[in-house]
Amino acid sequence: MSTNAAKNLFIYGSLLCFAVLVILTIDTMGTLDKRAPEITEKVDAGKKVWHKYDCIGCHTILGNGSYFAPDMTKATERKPKGYLKKFLLNPRSIKPDAAMPKLGLSEEEADNLIAFLEWTSKVDTNDWPPKPVLAAAAAAGTASTGQMLFRKNDCAACHQIAGLGGTAGPDLTHTGSKQPDIDWHIRHLKDPASVVENSAMPAFAHLSDEEIRMLAEYLITLK
Amino acid sequence: MQYQSQKIALNFYTAAVVLFLVQVLVGIIAAVQFMWPDFFILNFNTIRTLHINALVVWLLMGMMGATYYVVPEESETELWSVPLAQFQFWATVLAVGAVVAGYIVMGLNPQANTEIFGTRLLNEGREYIEAPRWADVLIVVSVLLFLFNNLMTILKTKKFTAVQGVLLGGLTFLALMYIPGMFYTKSMVKDQFWWWWVVHLWVEGSWEMIAAALLAFMLHKLLGADVKVLAKWMYIETGLVLFTGILGLGHHYYWIGTPKYWLWVGGIFSSLEPIPLLLMVWDAFRTTRETRGVVENRVGLYYTVAHAIFNFVGAGLWGVVHTLPQVNKWTHGTQITTAHGHLAFYGAYVLLILSMIYVTLPSLRGVKEFNQSKGYLAFWWMTISMVFIVITITGAGMVQTYLERLLGLDYVTVKAGYNLWFWIFRAIFGVGFLVGAAIIVKDFFTLGKQPLPARQP
Ligand code: HEC
Ligand code: HEC
Ligand code: HEM
Ligand code: HEM
Ligand SMILES: [Fe+2]
Repeated sequence: MSTNAAKNLFIYGSLLCFAVLVILTIDTMGTLDKRAPEITEKVDAGKKVWHKYDCIGCHTILGNGSYFAPDMTKATERKPKGYLKKFLLNPRSIKPDAAMPKLGLSEEEADNLIAFLEWTSKVDTNDWPPKPVLAAAAAAGTASTGQMLFRKNDCAACHQIAGLGGTAGPDLTHTGSKQPDIDWHIRHLKDPASVVENSAMPAFAHLSDEEIRMLAEYLITLK
Repeated sequence: MQYQSQKIALNFYTAAVVLFLVQVLVGIIAAVQFMWPDFFILNFNTIRTLHINALVVWLLMGMMGATYYVVPEESETELWSVPLAQFQFWATVLAVGAVVAGYIVMGLNPQANTEIFGTRLLNEGREYIEAPRWADVLIVVSVLLFLFNNLMTILKTKKFTAVQGVLLGGLTFLALMYIPGMFYTKSMVKDQFWWWWVVHLWVEGSWEMIAAALLAFMLHKLLGADVKVLAKWMYIETGLVLFTGILGLGHHYYWIGTPKYWLWVGGIFSSLEPIPLLLMVWDAFRTTRETRGVVENRVGLYYTVAHAIFNFVGAGLWGVVHTLPQVNKWTHGTQITTAHGHLAFYGAYVLLILSMIYVTLPSLRGVKEFNQSKGYLAFWWMTISMVFIVITITGAGMVQTYLERLLGLDYVTVKAGYNLWFWIFRAIFGVGFLVGAAIIVKDFFTLGKQPLPARQP
């Protein structure tokens, strides 16, 4: 190939590729709004809060950003809003060893942020993040009714038992030793704030008394 | 050095190496914060912002310095306007200083990051392009002044060389690709879509063009290789970089809310991206082998060849392993990405600018011979440390992908528990890197200024 031929290939080849990119971009722009919920004023205000506090400096969202903290795309699916709001306002007041600092958000900013995160959780991301393929295996095996309720109510989103589960609430591996009183657990499950001041755990009052008892019985076996 | 005006490159190089030191220092702080989040008065996000912005800015300053050196030499004339170049330099330094001060103020008090004219005063809160809008405008003006000055220089003698064409073409592309990052969109999906235009089309498009042009320039200057042959391969390399890289942009559009066809476009084109990078390695070796005669600036050649190799390894290999959608689905946004980011930036651009410095500094200082041992020493400190940083972080990424993404363990559990030792090792190797960086910066300031050791008879 002569130098001139190489040069022409470079110039026209690149221009062609760029033209294709522009066409694909135009097509994509036409589809994006259909692949996501409507953007309300609250969502937009929440996005601005996201930028204001540079959340991307620690977190990823849609998988892009910094790798110091968990991905935020599905944050509202993992945790109830009441918990998230308390956490955003002052992480260490409800999780003493949190690595996230108190950033000084106002109540309104926190509400807007949650609306924004709820929006991102509903974006059609071609099924990302994927469901863990091996998690089902870990959860298999026989389980007591209490254990089943623990799984069904997704207590593991916030609590760990023997290394499995979330870290938003305390580790429950030995909660039966720490708090052996079954009545305490029952009252706590029905209304956490009635026994633990400023608790960020959601109340499970919608469960039947029977279910709550089974759960509490299971909890006190965790020695 | 034939032209006095080339000396302006020294200003840019000086700013670049100073910022390089700052970048590495704050990188170590960031690494320590993985184990100890409250280690420093500024939170992790501010430290990270300083780390990556210092990196981008010093690489840009290095490219500008390199261009101010290359263009007069290729055009065989003095720069069109030295005062303009000087003004552009100081204006850039001032703007960068103001932006850094803004980040620190914002880090200490986020409320100071108020909204003005629909954008943020101190920090835009978008990775890499955190600089606020007013600074974006200043940066664009600075780059335009810089391009204008070089264009006028070329027009003085109208010697349109291939290296100049691709270099200036790459720089113009770079300036243009800053624009998609300069407007606000309400949709986070569109926000990230345009954000990747900037980030990807920079590092895998315009910057690689600049790298190919500077590679040809350096091989010619070091080895006296035939310009025609170099130009031909440079065109083939850049052609392939853009052919694979422009549509390779699709590898960032798999999971951000964009249509499925990007899985095909991104997967196919980005998988081909390593080819031109491999070609550059071959180009460097072939030219070195074919050129007989004594190479005076051996350390310059060393860095140039190392740049070509690590560009291929860091960007090409560490990029291609996670570029297919089937893999990226599991590794997207994990420490695997950080491992790739470090080796790619180090190999492709840090070593590129450092090679340009070693290739051009002796003539800028007016010496033919200089003590080359510091250059080698720095190279090995930096490269070994960087390779180990990348190995530890690749390990952390594999553990994270397996435990968090495949098994479903909690993010914080994996980070604070399973990966703790990887963070510890990264911080230690980070200090090793700092040693290398300090050696090279010291060498930059003293090169050619000390008497040479007496020659062996
Ligand atoms: C300095 C780093 C940092 C910054 C800045 C930061 N976060 Fe965090 N965030 C963390 C870390 C680390 C965690 C993980 C829990 C922990 O240990 O604190 C976390 C946890 C969270 C959680 C709980 C996630 C869960 O699943 O339990 C939410 C929600 C959250 N962050 C939202 C935000 C938002 C919104 C912002 C911006 C206003 C933000 N964060 C800014 C570091 C940060
Ligand atoms: C949104 C997160 C969240 C969910 C979901 C959650 N918890 Fe909690 N839990 C917490 C927090 C935060 C605390 C600490 C405050 C407190 O003690 O109330 C806590 C505390 C506890 C404690 C006391 C542990 C101790 O050592 O003090 C128990 C027991 C408990 N939770 C059980 C459960 C059970 C059973 C479920 C499911 C039915 C559940 N939690 C669901 C957040 C959660
Ligand atoms: C030429 C130099 C290159 C540099 C400097 C570079 C740098 C980076 C950086 C810094 C990121 C992370 C961005 C972020 O912070 O969010 C990234 C992501 C990525 N890069 Fe590169 N890259 C280069 C080339 C390549 C090549 C050639 C490939 C593929 C063959 C590639 C594949 C990827 C992929 C797939 C991601 C996304 C990772 C994820 O999903 O999290 N890169 N690159
Ligand atoms: C010249 C050398 C270096 C280059 C080119 C470089 C480049 C980068 C880039 C591009 C990022 C952001 C993208 C990403 O996370 O993938 C980053 C983040 C980071 N760097 Fe560096 N860096 C260098 C040296 C260092 C050193 C010596 C350390 C300290 C050990 C360090 C620690 C970090 C940390 C902790 C992050 C944040 C990663 C995360 O979010 O998880 N870097 N660096
Ligand atoms: Fe890319």
